[in-house]
Amino acid sequence: MKKSGLSMLPVLLWLCLFLVVPMLIVVGISFMGRDDLGNVVLDFNLDAYALFFDPLYLGIYWDTIVLSVLTTALCLLLSYPLAYYIANAGPRMQTWGLVLITVPFWINFLIRTYAWVLLLRTQGVVNELLLGMGLISEPLQMLYTKGAVLLGMVYTFIPFMVLPIYVALEQMDKKLLEAANDLGATRWRSFWHITLPQTKSGIMTGSVLVYVSTTGMFVVTDILGGAKSAMISNIIQSQYLGARNWPFGSALSVIFVITSLILIALFNRAMTSRYQKVREVRS
Amino acid sequence: MKTKSHPLLGIHSLVMMIFIYVPILFIVAYSFNSSRLAADWSGFTFDWYISLFDNRHVMEALANSLTVAIVSTVISTVLGTLAALAMRKLGRRFKAGMGGLLYLPIIIPDIIMGLSLLVLFNQLNMPLGKITIIIAHITFSLSYVYVVVTTRLSGMGGQLEEAAQDLGASSWQTFRHVTLPQIAPGIISGALIAFTLSLDDFMVSFFVSGPNSTTLPIYIYGQVKRGISPEINALCTILILVTVTLIFLAQFVLNRGKGQKKQSVLPF
Amino acid sequence: MNNKNMKWAGLVLAGLMLIGLLSGCGSSKETLNIYSWADNFDEEVLKQFEQEFDVKVNYDVFANNEDLLAKIKAGGGGYDLIQPSDYMVATMIKQDLLAPLDMNHIPNFANVSEAYKDPSYDPGNKYSIVYTSGVTGIAYNTKYVKDEIDSWEDLWNPEYKGKVILLDDNREVIGMALKKAGHSNSSTDEGEITAAVDDLKSLLPSVLAFDTDNIKQKMIQEEGWIATVWSGDASYIAQDNPDVAYVVPKEGGTIWSDNYAIPKDSKHKELAEKFINFMLDPEVSAKNYESIGYSDPNTKATEFHSEEYRNDKMINLSEDELSRTEWLGDVGDKLQLYDRFWTELKSGR
Repeated sequence: MKKSGLSMLPVLLWLCLFLVVPMLIVVGISFMGRDDLGNVVLDFNLDAYALFFDPLYLGIYWDTIVLSVLTTALCLLLSYPLAYYIANAGPRMQTWGLVLITVPFWINFLIRTYAWVLLLRTQGVVNELLLGMGLISEPLQMLYTKGAVLLGMVYTFIPFMVLPIYVALEQMDKKLLEAANDLGATRWRSFWHITLPQTKSGIMTGSVLVYVSTTGMFVVTDILGGAKSAMISNIIQSQYLGARNWPFGSALSVIFVITSLILIALFNRAMTSRYQKVREVRS
Repeated sequence: MKTKSHPLLGIHSLVMMIFIYVPILFIVAYSFNSSRLAADWSGFTFDWYISLFDNRHVMEALANSLTVAIVSTVISTVLGTLAALAMRKLGRRFKAGMGGLLYLPIIIPDIIMGLSLLVLFNQLNMPLGKITIIIAHITFSLSYVYVVVTTRLSGMGGQLEEAAQDLGASSWQTFRHVTLPQIAPGIISGALIAFTLSLDDFMVSFFVSGPNSTTLPIYIYGQVKRGISPEINALCTILILVTVTLIFLAQFVLNRGKGQKKQSVLPF
Repeated sequence: MNNKNMKWAGLVLAGLMLIGLLSGCGSSKETLNIYSWADNFDEEVLKQFEQEFDVKVNYDVFANNEDLLAKIKAGGGGYDLIQPSDYMVATMIKQDLLAPLDMNHIPNFANVSEAYKDPSYDPGNKYSIVYTSGVTGIAYNTKYVKDEIDSWEDLWNPEYKGKVILLDDNREVIGMALKKAGHSNSSTDEGEITAAVDDLKSLLPSVLAFDTDNIKQKMIQEEGWIATVWSGDASYIAQDNPDVAYVVPKEGGTIWSDNYAIPKDSKHKELAEKFINFMLDPEVSAKNYESIGYSDPNTKATEFHSEEYRNDKMINLSEDELSRTEWLGDVGDKLQLYDRFWTELKSGR
């Protein structure tokens, strides 16, 4: 088994060539200037980074973080019980559960999102249903709101939460639960003290995947939010494309990547220390 | 050992399934709608299914997407799993650096990844096409596989492996008969995520694609300007149907004659 | 994955890579690589070209001008014919990304309407020839909008609060507000731009959504009552919802065009020029535009068009309407200002 440290080599080489080198180009561009045509020119400066501290862009980044945290929390609340149910079903049901959750997401993202437009718009099915049942007297404007964006985000990233939590739950040592049960622990207590700590790694992974994916998503805000709010990735996108300001786009990306890494590390630390505390108490 | 789930859990899962499938049902329904617009219902038709098979652009795009998704999933699953396993053997410092590096592809915005890879491929004089798309997809997919497999590994002690080795198993035997079965659910889940991401990626693919390598998402995004044709709805319906049938068949074949022990199958 | 599975996976992999390589270098015929908007050509016309010239046509798609520019600029090439819009032609010429056209190979250029020759974005048609064109005006649903609409000012009418849709494009929308104030849609005067943006901020509470691609669905489905819309899209909307009318406001609107152009690194330049010439043949072009439903700048093609097409007032705009239009000009570095204001508008800050 000692050799397997070496098996990192192919991955390392791959990432160096196709990730580190291109990223260095991006970091380089972020320190350069641009001419009127939007061409990147060699002229070392920090203007692009200074521009980020404009309240306009800081505010947008803040909004992005808030929405992403909300999406992650909602995803977690909705997905954990689902993953729990699947992990505790028979093996055949487990397969079907996983497949049934993933396959819808093989349908193109745009198509799925437009399907939500059909459901939510003023003449859409949801409104007709509510009107028909007499719950509302006038169609609700559900589309092009922050709520619609949140719904679209949660919907898009559910599998990213369910799968890692399932992976963690499935390998849990169930004897512990039985022991707790024998000792007279209530369901809730054994969940809180045994199941939850044992599946921390799954929660961690799922949360990071959902959080990061949400911050990077911009099409949902355009389609379900009516393009009325901007996410940091909308801004990065428009700097590279419409505004033709590659240095600013690159600087935003660098800041974005670094802050995300820091947030992940902090989250990681918070989760692990709690986990260890619980462990100590247990032993 | 099976623990009985609380009935509320079952209800919640059912509601979640409905939540996931309601939009999908819409897509299926509209694939039979005779109006070109995803608007009102104006009659039942099979026309979109017929014209779908005559549409060489959609068919080409589908073939490209599937090729890219399958190849990149296989390679990235192997690479990602290797990385997760190797990570356990690394020293502390190297581990932290490598961990950060492996998280990068997940964090980097798509457009940056696409554009920077395009610049790189140009420098390397690589012609743009399916191969470059596959390389790009492997680069982001392997991280997802790594992350999910690591989740699995972190909940797994080394005792079993040590025991196997003490009993004289070679490192390959240990890997094959002890480690692999234990991390299989992680690998499978990682592969599922990789496949899903590859099939759905637009931005990265857009930049690193060349003539004759249009993937399905590129085609669909292109259609948005004029309104997406219901042929795409028909295509999605077929895709789901085929996948579910294939998995069902595989399950059925594998379970025959296996007696009590039910095998679980997933693609890959 | 056990041993057998590994082998199997390896086989599949090798097979797929082989297929990929083979399909990459399949036919020995000369290939024309077109890079354009989706569904921008009649399929049969493309087939006809393949047969007549014994070549293969590859048709790949992009979704907007900015994507096209970023890709071509970063060296994403191999394309022989692209279809940028007017302002993008100007940008690409300035960035030295286009090859000059050899008009000797395109005698049918004579068929192009004088109105579209020698455009401001490409003087003398050195690099581009118009493919189709339209004007940004106001589309409104007569079921809900009872007043007569003839000015951009009407979008600000409080009765339409929450039912206004604007194009999701900074130059189009800020240009509209500039036109409303009587300025050029491509003003580089900071005072004029700031005033226009302030004016737009007062319109924000009325805005249902910003949208370019799906504005058609939103108008057909009557989600929105009144919107800034391209004339071609207005025609599309009116076909499905006859209550929708279209007007080019009295202050004038922005005119746009999509064009034929050849990237500098094209390897089949002459074939691309032959293709343009083929498309400008009167009969071919009538067939093509009839199928895609866009305006046909080919004057010789009129007689081959159907009655219905010729009578569509939203495809064929009147002289009077066209006289009130202005191309989007290059604003140079003021683009940064436009972009910043646009971000402010959309994020509501």
